[in-house]
Amino acid sequence: MSEIREDPAAIAKAIDALIGSGRVRTPRGRETLAARVIAEPRTSAEVSELVRMCEADRIALAAMGAARTLASIRREPAALGVAMTTMARVLAYEPDDMTVSVEAGITLGALNSRVGERRQQLALDPPGPDVTTIGAVVAAAQSGPLRLSEGTPRDLLIGVRFVGHDARLISSGGRVVKNVAGYDLMKVMTGSFGTLGIIVEATFKLRPMAEGYTIVMARFTSAAEAFAAARAALEALTPLHLEVVSPGVATMLGYPDSFLVIAGIAGVEREIQWQCERLAALLGNRVSVVTGFEASGLYARIRDLDFAAAALAAKLSVIPAELGACLERCAVEFCAHAGSGVAEITIEREMDAGEAAATIARWRTIAHAARGNLRIVSAASALRGAFQMFDDPAPGALALMHRLKASFDPAGIFNPRCFVGGI
Amino acid sequence: MNPQTEPNRGAEARLGQEQADDLAAELRAIVGENGVVARATELRVYECDGWTIERRAPQLLALPRTTAEVSAVLRTLYRRGIAFVPRGAGTGLSGGCLPLYAPVMVCTSRMNRIIAIDIASRRVEVESGVVNINVSNAVKAAGYFYAPDPSSQVACTIGGNIAENSGGPHTLKYGVTTNHVMGVELVAPDGEIVELGGAAEERVGYDLTGAVVGAEGTVGIVTRATLKLTREPEARRTLLAVFADVDSATRAVSATIAAGIVPGAIEMMDRLIIRAVEDAFAVGLPRDAGAVLIIEIDGLEAAMADHAEAIARIAREAGASEVRVARDEAERTLLWKARKRAFGAVGRLAPNYATQDGVVPRTRLPDILRVISGLSEKFGLAIGNVFHAGDGNIHPIVLYDERDPDQVRRAIEVGREILRACVAMGGSLTGEHGIGVEKQAEMPLIFSPDDLIAMAELRRVFDPAERSNPGKVIPRPGACVEVAAPHRQVAL
Repeated sequence: MSEIREDPAAIAKAIDALIGSGRVRTPRGRETLAARVIAEPRTSAEVSELVRMCEADRIALAAMGAARTLASIRREPAALGVAMTTMARVLAYEPDDMTVSVEAGITLGALNSRVGERRQQLALDPPGPDVTTIGAVVAAAQSGPLRLSEGTPRDLLIGVRFVGHDARLISSGGRVVKNVAGYDLMKVMTGSFGTLGIIVEATFKLRPMAEGYTIVMARFTSAAEAFAAARAALEALTPLHLEVVSPGVATMLGYPDSFLVIAGIAGVEREIQWQCERLAALLGNRVSVVTGFEASGLYARIRDLDFAAAALAAKLSVIPAELGACLERCAVEFCAHAGSGVAEITIEREMDAGEAAATIARWRTIAHAARGNLRIVSAASALRGAFQMFDDPAPGALALMHRLKASFDPAGIFNPRCFVGGI
Repeated sequence: MNPQTEPNRGAEARLGQEQADDLAAELRAIVGENGVVARATELRVYECDGWTIERRAPQLLALPRTTAEVSAVLRTLYRRGIAFVPRGAGTGLSGGCLPLYAPVMVCTSRMNRIIAIDIASRRVEVESGVVNINVSNAVKAAGYFYAPDPSSQVACTIGGNIAENSGGPHTLKYGVTTNHVMGVELVAPDGEIVELGGAAEERVGYDLTGAVVGAEGTVGIVTRATLKLTREPEARRTLLAVFADVDSATRAVSATIAAGIVPGAIEMMDRLIIRAVEDAFAVGLPRDAGAVLIIEIDGLEAAMADHAEAIARIAREAGASEVRVARDEAERTLLWKARKRAFGAVGRLAPNYATQDGVVPRTRLPDILRVISGLSEKFGLAIGNVFHAGDGNIHPIVLYDERDPDQVRRAIEVGREILRACVAMGGSLTGEHGIGVEKQAEMPLIFSPDDLIAMAELRRVFDPAERSNPGKVIPRPGACVEVAAPHRQVAL
């Protein structure tokens, strides 16, 4: 078996011959961390052609949108980046069925502005919707505050089409909201970080946008108090989202120096008013209510909190009741999705590789003790080599994952060596 | 490459008597004397699930009580090259646990412990033989429930729900089984015990839990599961809306959801069903109506009046002649009784009935119902419709008499025609009953050979030797099941 080829000039030339000149370019900005050459296919058939070439010539390729995820998980760039942003059409939008099929390169923002005309939404809200592509949302299983009430990509994806090995175009699921025909390849592709094939189309169920939206916020002096209040709110109400943020993050949001509980309330006017009153009764005079444009502005700031510039940032996921205690033990700044047991955590302090590795090891111990896991989402480049970005799955599960990878990607070309267990 | 190889590649389909006796002895050493059933008369009970057209009893049944026992049983079978079929309560509707190509059945019904309840984190860990309703019962006092509610929930097991990715009326709002299973303990077909997923929401590596759910028992045996609990809604309202025809009823369904209201359930009954229910139980449905909707909303008490009013207005705009709101729990129970007893009522209209499970995009409901009505005339068989309208999941009930072979033939053909029409409208072969053996032959209607190959590859990741429930789901080369009679008479 020959070595995986790396020569950018030769790859660019081959692509040029394959899908036409002007569809290949050099990487820009963040993309340089993700790939050495970039191809811009326009159709699934062209993606298939690229995959066929890469399998034959053993060229590692990686699908990308804005290249943010790829830049953060790859230790070295892939030989070929497949930019999906040139495949960004809405293929079918059925407002009355509340389903939408799109090409993978459309951004979440573009999709939602289209379906927003009918007061509908794809209820997934990772940071930066205007640059985040649907392919990235699915492949990296991205979510945000709305996960509490609407779920994550695995809950809303009802159909997927991807180019797999042998350049085959494979579909699973369909365009109906309830469907158990065949094996669920949507689940396998969601969160697979591009390691099993290139997602070219996705179909989602949509949600109606609520009539009104209000934020109820309360300040606390300790994390424990804040999490106790969040828990009480979750028991008494049905918030759309519910965050607890640390003082440093509260400062970024414009409310300095306290732990904040932020509850997003949606629904009809009476429902919102009643929930605000009930929260005020629960949390006392520390409560403030944010409405109208101010509320949607604050929501966008919470959604878009981005720790990518931090020296070290991670996503912690544990059983929900343990989240507050875990975060205190981690001693970090955080934005916690309280009901889901998930938090983005960060540390701003400068550190060397050894200290970073020790810090991450400590976080992982804390996460595992609470039946959870930790994924590094960003690290300064000097620190990268010191630790794994992903947790290790349990040995039996990892063996199955290796078999899945070998079966779906026998040539080992799809975004290799950057996922769990060296996959 | 064929996606499906011949079942029992390298495995025994039928054991010789000596081999069976020898195996029974080895299994008894693992699961105890009363953990193995080998007598033909006792095995008759296990010859089918709710798909009763085909019957075949296993040669041996093992009833393990622990994960270790399941593992030891599967290890033994693997060593001997013998295939097996997993079974929960046998309430499936597509022949998922029919032992057509495997001599041994492994039943999880004795593994029925609820292991841990964690209300603060909204998780429950159960053995796979726990009956669905018992999960909700165990957490009811704390104000929680387990959301997926198949109509067989008083009998079906969590393991069976996981295999079939079961739904139910309230999945419109709350999602199906896969949305509520956080992790599983799986005994692989070679006996190895594997932990997949867990109690935390984010997963490490591939979402293999999501691949196991809905795999119809072809990837090994799930022995434990960590499930998500849902808080009981503070309030509910149940409405009955009466329409002159199914078209206007389906318009009301779409308009309700488009208005931003996601009810807990929207169920529809057509004229044939309404009359059957009234004749049988006299629950007070209007006999001259063309269709009724039962719409249930739930959530905060503060929102109920507004939502109920909005739905009533939408229903009237769509042509409802009457909208009633159940005034109390007794009236609500009566409405649901009418819905849930529909199948029993239909039993009075004809000696036999066959229920179909198909899906269309919600907006195509009037079209598919028109097609069904046309097919009913064309084939000369009465067809009633009672179904989950909110998500386009239809359940036509074809009435026939099995003593007349021609009626049987027509009943089978009309079922297939309905499925083809669903697919032509952009729908699917099954919304919640699974492919099993019933719909294998129809899989190529919605999946290409490449799609099926990818699915087969996924299955072989878990079960390379195809020992777990062989020959199911994916169509078999040149060996399409000859469906003999549509005997399905199980409430949905």
